[in-house]
Amino acid sequence: MPVWQSIYEELKSENFEIISVAQDTGGEEAAGHFYDDANVTYTALIDVNHQISSLYNLVNVPSGVWVDEEGRIMRINEGTYAKTHFDGAWGTDDYVPIVRDWVAKGADSEYVWDRNKVRESIIQRTPEAERAQPAFRLGGYYFTGGNDEKAEQYWTMAQELDPTSWNYLRQDLQYEDGGSAGPEWSKRRAEIESAGGSYYAPLEIDN
Amino acid sequence: MNRRTSIAAIAAMLISGVLNAQSATVLYNERIVELEQTLPDATDLWVKPEDLTRVNDFVLKPEGACLDALCVPVLQDRDSAMFVTRQGQAWFNVTELADKLQQAYVTDYNDGVWSFGTMPVTRQSFLRGGEAPDFELMGRDGEPVRLSDFRGKKVLLLTWASW
Repeated sequence: MPVWQSIYEELKSENFEIISVAQDTGGEEAAGHFYDDANVTYTALIDVNHQISSLYNLVNVPSGVWVDEEGRIMRINEGTYAKTHFDGAWGTDDYVPIVRDWVAKGADSEYVWDRNKVRESIIQRTPEAERAQPAFRLGGYYFTGGNDEKAEQYWTMAQELDPTSWNYLRQDLQYEDGGSAGPEWSKRRAEIESAGGSYYAPLEIDN
Repeated sequence: MNRRTSIAAIAAMLISGVLNAQSATVLYNERIVELEQTLPDATDLWVKPEDLTRVNDFVLKPEGACLDALCVPVLQDRDSAMFVTRQGQAWFNVTELADKLQQAYVTDYNDGVWSFGTMPVTRQSFLRGGEAPDFELMGRDGEPVRLSDFRGKKVLLLTWASW
């Protein structure tokens, strides 16, 4: 987050904005202090219903979307880190340079995707997966109201309707033994990766 | 039961039929809408026309249920799957409209809570690879923030989570 803040400082005078959206049912209490600790001045939001992931068909965090001056999508659905963390254990140093290139060159940037590429990169949802969002929303409604039993019921339903969503799984695990990055998450991640899948939507920077 | 009491009983039934109209809660995007009265129905959500707009922004007009330029035709001079009149009160079937629009929803029938997903009609351009769907979230300072507030700028939209 401090890195994004420094990038924002560098680029904000070039008609550039960062909108950061925490996918956090825990709300201000869970996510707010991260923004405060980094003294962020870009647009910092907390999205308790994961509305943005739902609207943009995103299934994991962090994810990034480029939106141009006219409101058109230029890139979407990438695991977007500002830098590598823990000696390269995760993250990437490759993303920030392409953001810089786009801000400088706009549509002429080689990293801007055409409409077909954008369309292909949007995750397609089954009708079942479309029901996952209202189910998750209903679980959040009960969670906020203190009804943990029904919250669990509808969060489980959301995961069953959309098994591709890491967000729904990990938000739920956050409130269970082991936490959001515990044994259950490790097991599910290993299953995906051993089947040849990837946990994060990969960056495609060479195209 | 004499004639007088039976009339009273029928009148009481008619009145209770209205009074028994169930309350309901509707979740859609960020909104939580409390409805005092809906028409009791085992599977569908029927609301008063004036509540329709509170629920999902649609407005019932003579030509149908409309959202901006989109109008779904609704006959209002007779009962249908979308619209009925009971004791002079009009009721609109929100779940029937959702089905027509392929809008997903999940219901807790015990509590009368209806949770609606995004409407595909509002995202067609997005799904074709074009426009970024607009959204409105409450900012941390209590002021609403929309993506469309930033037209004219390049926006890097980032999701993350504390968990």
